[in-house]
Amino acid sequence: MSRPSDLIQGTLDLLILKTISIEPRHGWAIAKRIQQVSEDALQVTQGALYPALHRLEQQGWISAKWRATETGREAKFYQLTKAGAAQLEKELAQWERLSNAVGLVIRMV
Amino acid sequence: MRKHRWPDILRMRARSLLRRRRVERELEKELRFHIEQDIEEGRIRGLSPDEARSAALRKLGGVTQIQEECRDMRGTNFIENLGQDVRYAARALAKSPGFTLVMVLTLALSIGATSAIVSIIEGVLLRPLPFHNPGRLVRVFTSNRAWPKFPINPNDFRDFRARLRSFESFAAYTRNDLQLAGTGEAIRLSGFAVTADFFHVLGLKPAMGREIERNDELPGKGFVAIVNNRIWRTRLGARRDALGQKIVLDGVPYTVVGVMPPGVQHPGNMYHAVAYGDTVDVWTPFTFAHPNDRGSHYLDGIARLRPGVVPGQAQGEMNAAMRQLAREHPNSATGWNLLVITLDSEIVGRSEHMLLVLLGAVALVLLLACVNAANLLLARATARRREMAVRAAVGAGRRRLIQQMLTESMLLSVLGAAVGVAMAVAGVKALVAVLPADFPRAGDIHVDAPVFLLTLLVAAGTGIVFGIVPALHGSRTDLRESLHESGRSTTSSYGTLRLRNGLVVSEVTLACVLLIGGGLMLRSFVNLLKSEPGFRPEQVVTASVSLPEAHYKDGKSIALFGDRLLAEVRRTPGLRAAGLGSDLPWTGWDENTGGFQIQGETPPPKDSFNARYHTATFGYFSALGIPVVRGRAFGEHDNADSGKVLVINQAMAKYWQHGDALGGKVTFSDHPKESDWITVVGIVGDVKDTPKDAGAKAAFWWPMLQEPWVRQFSIAIRSNLDSKLAADRLRTAVRKLDGNLAVADVRTMELVANGSYSTSRFAFVLVGLLAALALALAAIGTYGVMAYSVSQRIHEFGVRMALGARPRDVVGSVLANGMKLAMAGTAMGILLGLGLSRLLGSLLYGVDAADPVAIGATGVIAILVAALACCVPAMRAMRADPMTALRAD
Repeated sequence: MSRPSDLIQGTLDLLILKTISIEPRHGWAIAKRIQQVSEDALQVTQGALYPALHRLEQQGWISAKWRATETGREAKFYQLTKAGAAQLEKELAQWERLSNAVGLVIRMV
Repeated sequence: MRKHRWPDILRMRARSLLRRRRVERELEKELRFHIEQDIEEGRIRGLSPDEARSAALRKLGGVTQIQEECRDMRGTNFIENLGQDVRYAARALAKSPGFTLVMVLTLALSIGATSAIVSIIEGVLLRPLPFHNPGRLVRVFTSNRAWPKFPINPNDFRDFRARLRSFESFAAYTRNDLQLAGTGEAIRLSGFAVTADFFHVLGLKPAMGREIERNDELPGKGFVAIVNNRIWRTRLGARRDALGQKIVLDGVPYTVVGVMPPGVQHPGNMYHAVAYGDTVDVWTPFTFAHPNDRGSHYLDGIARLRPGVVPGQAQGEMNAAMRQLAREHPNSATGWNLLVITLDSEIVGRSEHMLLVLLGAVALVLLLACVNAANLLLARATARRREMAVRAAVGAGRRRLIQQMLTESMLLSVLGAAVGVAMAVAGVKALVAVLPADFPRAGDIHVDAPVFLLTLLVAAGTGIVFGIVPALHGSRTDLRESLHESGRSTTSSYGTLRLRNGLVVSEVTLACVLLIGGGLMLRSFVNLLKSEPGFRPEQVVTASVSLPEAHYKDGKSIALFGDRLLAEVRRTPGLRAAGLGSDLPWTGWDENTGGFQIQGETPPPKDSFNARYHTATFGYFSALGIPVVRGRAFGEHDNADSGKVLVINQAMAKYWQHGDALGGKVTFSDHPKESDWITVVGIVGDVKDTPKDAGAKAAFWWPMLQEPWVRQFSIAIRSNLDSKLAADRLRTAVRKLDGNLAVADVRTMELVANGSYSTSRFAFVLVGLLAALALALAAIGTYGVMAYSVSQRIHEFGVRMALGARPRDVVGSVLANGMKLAMAGTAMGILLGLGLSRLLGSLLYGVDAADPVAIGATGVIAILVAALACCVPAMRAMRADPMTALRAD
């Protein structure tokens, strides 16, 4: 499950929302963070990342601001909106339920 | 939570749409930043700048693809597609102008009719009355079993005003036309005597001066007047110093104390009614001159409820007060209840029913137009199945196909709406011109922004309603089959045909419902025209004259004037009859509620003999063509010096159960002396009080020259003269006797008679037009389906004829097919119409809601028209060429 295109769409959304839930991040940092935390198991390409970001923004889950990075370059930083935070909670709970269920089935059989 | 997202979403959508270039630039910048970060990272890991760059680009993939996908995510593609669809739809419609024309015209007619009727409803029923806070205005009447809605007694009014808590303010008014002389030609002013606070109740303020106050109500103080803007401009020279000026009304100087702004609307009144509208010229104080009279009822009450009080509460309080009054004045104030109804329902109540019926009819037509449009579109969609299949084959999704077809139907309905609104603007003007004379608020009717918006909504709604079925149907394409299917097919898709047959049946059904409505209206109208009015209006010219008390102090002088006027008028060449009367047929009456005694007869228990009354001179009945059934009409000798006599109508003659009405004796005195008994000398034919009354009420006439207490009376002359000449003759006759008198309401009796048909004619014309439109739509629909099914089966017909079928068989098969649909629709339409026609209620006159003639005619017309619509396709089927059919196989 290393290729991002294999990721079902909802999962990528969940990963993005979770990644920016602690602090606002720009696109590259989001991809990098997901890659690092998953120990390179998940690599998100631009082709998947940016459409997802745009969709989330259109849906009002996240909002974006242009500001300077530590190195002084202009980048678009994404952060959760209030509605996005609530959505994240919901999706996390859902994910927990699903993965528990899948785990149960796998162990039982 | 969802709620919070909306502003963000809208902002983002708007941004994506309106600032597209900027959004695109930002995306580019964002991607560049990403690549540069990748390169940077590569360098840190020890790659050369070139290697780092190419690794980053490899990872990136196609920039345009990312951009396109982001665009998709932003949802702007929908809008761009829409533009494409509109262009495509416009091209497709332009390619079949006939189809487009029929669609746009039928939609325009039905949408236009809808918006015209809605305009009228909006102006009449929905727009608030032009008074302050009109919802709190109520009309107040007295009421009992015999007279459910009756005016108020002045002294009762004054007691109510002092005692009631439900009303913020309470005023009363009664008709008091006045003659204005001295500043130009004498004219009759339409006037009302009003109590203090009349304008305050309505929430209107004079433009200059003050309104009527309590002090003006005292006897001897009431010679002040408030004039409307029109009189101020035309008779007072529009002068700022008009206040305090004296004007001569009915021969008495009145001081002008107020001038009303333009557009003051009269709230309407009951007896000798003046319609709602800008119809009143002058207001003078009502003076309480007879403190002991509790018997006469002639005031119209109007009040403003206190905030939070509903009419029912006010009515309860008034009834309690009325019971108290009855205890205080047991002789005359007993037996009455109070009736409090909102001003709004009093003004428009009568027309509300008709308007709602029209709204229903127009809604049916709109529905029919939708069904018809769906039907035509469906035919078109079937014909375009291959086109759709091709589009699907090159990758258009089902949603995309539906969107495209809906765009086409929306475009049609928007075009229809545009033409329809233009029609509505013209139509509303035409409708207002033919509105019944007594129709309330006609001046408030016009197509305005809300109606326009509603029309757009209706158009969009129609577009979706009639577009959705064909769109769903047409987009369900089986690629292989459609592409494979050649231009002709022997079996038309069974589902499509069934759907279309269903649509035809429902079209015929709807048209039949409207036809039944139109038929019933026509029958009512004809009945009204045919109904014997009880008088002959042809060649009769009438006018009204009012004798001011200042110059005609007593009955003797009134009688003398009447006598001389008749003598003058009778010198008219070509005159056949002339007479005076307190009123004319269908224009008014007075009511005698106290009752009278009839010698030798006892009234029914708990009731009294009572009747409506008028006065008349000799010549009155013959001038109006009211037949004398028995006895005689008044003669010249029936004056103050002769014995007291009455003429009664046939309805009143029925009071005589034992003796003969003719020669019978009547008295209005409670304790009659011998001289108080009045002899009935004549019985005349019944004339209904209004043309739509079920029958005539009991009525009698005093001889006017014997009982000359009526100051305002009508003249009627029947002559061979042209009506204009006759009217001139009337004017000169009056002027010759008294140059200060105004000759008002000069009109032919035919005009009076026609005016009373106008409501029925209006309803009939409108419903009839809608029914005709419905019939045309149903015919188009039937034709469309039959033509389509014939074109689908033309090959089959060819084969059949090649095998020896006669043309007659082919025609018969097509006609039978069409007739089956038409009959099913007609049967359902008649059933539905029978149920719905009960709603017409009081709009019908002399015809049952289940009238067999109207229903039979509807059935015949519907089936005939359907047969006609089937004929052309049937002929085409007959001409199917067997050779072509065989060769093609």
